[in-house]
Amino acid sequence: MKKCLIFFEKQYEKFCIDLLETVNQMYGKNFVSYALSIDADIEVATDKFDEIILVENRQIICHNIHMITRIVEELHKEIQFDSILILATHYGRMLAPALSMKLGTGLVADVTQISHYKDKIEMIRPAFSGKILAGIINMREDTVMMTVRPGVFLYENITLKRTKIWSYMPDKIDKPKLELISRRKKPETRDIRDSEILVSGGGGILNDFDSIDELAKRLGGMKAASRRVVDSGKADRSIQVGQSGKIVHPRLYIALGICGVLQHVAGLNHVQHIISVNTNKNAPMCSLADIVVEGDARTFVDSLIERIDREKMIQEKG
Amino acid sequence: MKIICLIKFTPDVDAFEYDYENNVLLRDKVKQIINPDDACALGFALQLKKKNPDIRIEVVTMAPPSVKKMMEDILRRQVDFGTIISDPLFSGSDTLATSMVLGTYLKTAEYDVILTGNQSLDGDTAQVPSQLAALLEIGHMSGITNIDEKSFINGAPLVEVDTENHIDTYKIPFPAILSVCRESKYKLPFVRYADLDLDVSDKLEIVDNQILKLDIKYVGLKGSSTRVVKTYVKKYEQKEKIIVYNNPEGIETVYRFLKENGYLK
Repeated sequence: MKKCLIFFEKQYEKFCIDLLETVNQMYGKNFVSYALSIDADIEVATDKFDEIILVENRQIICHNIHMITRIVEELHKEIQFDSILILATHYGRMLAPALSMKLGTGLVADVTQISHYKDKIEMIRPAFSGKILAGIINMREDTVMMTVRPGVFLYENITLKRTKIWSYMPDKIDKPKLELISRRKKPETRDIRDSEILVSGGGGILNDFDSIDELAKRLGGMKAASRRVVDSGKADRSIQVGQSGKIVHPRLYIALGICGVLQHVAGLNHVQHIISVNTNKNAPMCSLADIVVEGDARTFVDSLIERIDREKMIQEKG
Repeated sequence: MKIICLIKFTPDVDAFEYDYENNVLLRDKVKQIINPDDACALGFALQLKKKNPDIRIEVVTMAPPSVKKMMEDILRRQVDFGTIISDPLFSGSDTLATSMVLGTYLKTAEYDVILTGNQSLDGDTAQVPSQLAALLEIGHMSGITNIDEKSFINGAPLVEVDTENHIDTYKIPFPAILSVCRESKYKLPFVRYADLDLDVSDKLEIVDNQILKLDIKYVGLKGSSTRVVKTYVKKYEQKEKIIVYNNPEGIETVYRFLKENGYLK
């Protein structure tokens, strides 16, 4: 039986459960899953993991990476995990490397697929801004460590487990090396990952990016953006789709002036329908699309809004 | 105050072209640039030095000797000292092995704070800064979009961090590693006209493994536990698709499609 530890991050509970699917693909059903929770909501995880390890001491705060690293080290010494999976969030991307240094274990970041290479687990991740995919193995016989982007794997197993929950208390508590002074919530609270319809803009609509709002509104969807738009400062990173942004799985994805480099396409997962509007009908985004509209994205937005509004007016009059 | 800026030279990944006919990535002819996030970190350090001339800045990079020219170009921007950590033994190092090399140098180096980029354009893993913080047992924060100058000068900077859902402010006393990202908008200044041909050779040092004396078990390709065994070109799955023009007929097709699939109420 393989032993797998999943760091159960507060506020990302659902995505952490999805990591069980990653483990499924690594070992089949042949594993024991451990969730390590520092103050997270474990109610949703009960029945899903084999064991949940709680660290309940109030003094151990989540951003104390040195402390959390030591806790995992101590647990690892006792349990000897075959693999450790951490969500590639802002926090996870700091925790995982620190842990890899302490354990002397290689770490693969942002894994998007699992495969098998000879008798090893092959971790596949985008490289060069997602322009190619690299299959990476751990050469040594030690623990396999990776981070996984939220939303890449979806766990749909309904087998309920009898979860054993136990507490762990480290001998000594380290003082954190930094202090959280203030936290403010970002104005955009709806997550593009939760939207069934995304209207997304790229370089081709950069100068009229805000025109997307109206179309998104009429479709009851949300606005999203490519990296180019975000880098130019016209959109917040929280709505960026792609390898360096979010992995989304809407039912409908309308790509406006998005060329569709791999780094962007890496952010699309199980999308049912894609409409791509581009002046170049051979752009990579178009080869993924159900409908390709060859032409200017801004004009398209205006025309489609007009078409929708016209129908609405007729309905209202009738 | 002594600041070490860790930088990396990377290929300009965004300039890679993709040959869709042959499914290969064209990586030739792409020039090397200073990693954009790292440029922001160094930009902040130089901005601060301008107001506080006592600050000393050392730029450290781990790279083949061929980066010398680019490094000299950086030294012409009021940087005090440059170190290229370079040895054929180090080539092929994964992030952990890289951190071992850099960390061994940093353990002997003098600094109050280390500034670096959040992640590199080519690797995109953001692992090295966190690994170094763990090795050096100092504080670390990633994703920094703003550093408060006054508290920085006082040795316990307030840094603003853009996590996914929040804007957090942390206080992180020295010694520490601060990973700055592009959104910070700190800019690397241009070389002053008078300094274009400045001789900076006395400011540059190359450090190899004769100096660092790392056990070769831990460095280079042999010392790296992660290994790329395959590369894939992501296959574009061809769908049966409709191609229309941006005209009334095209719009009508899209409109019908939205309607038929229940996207329009």
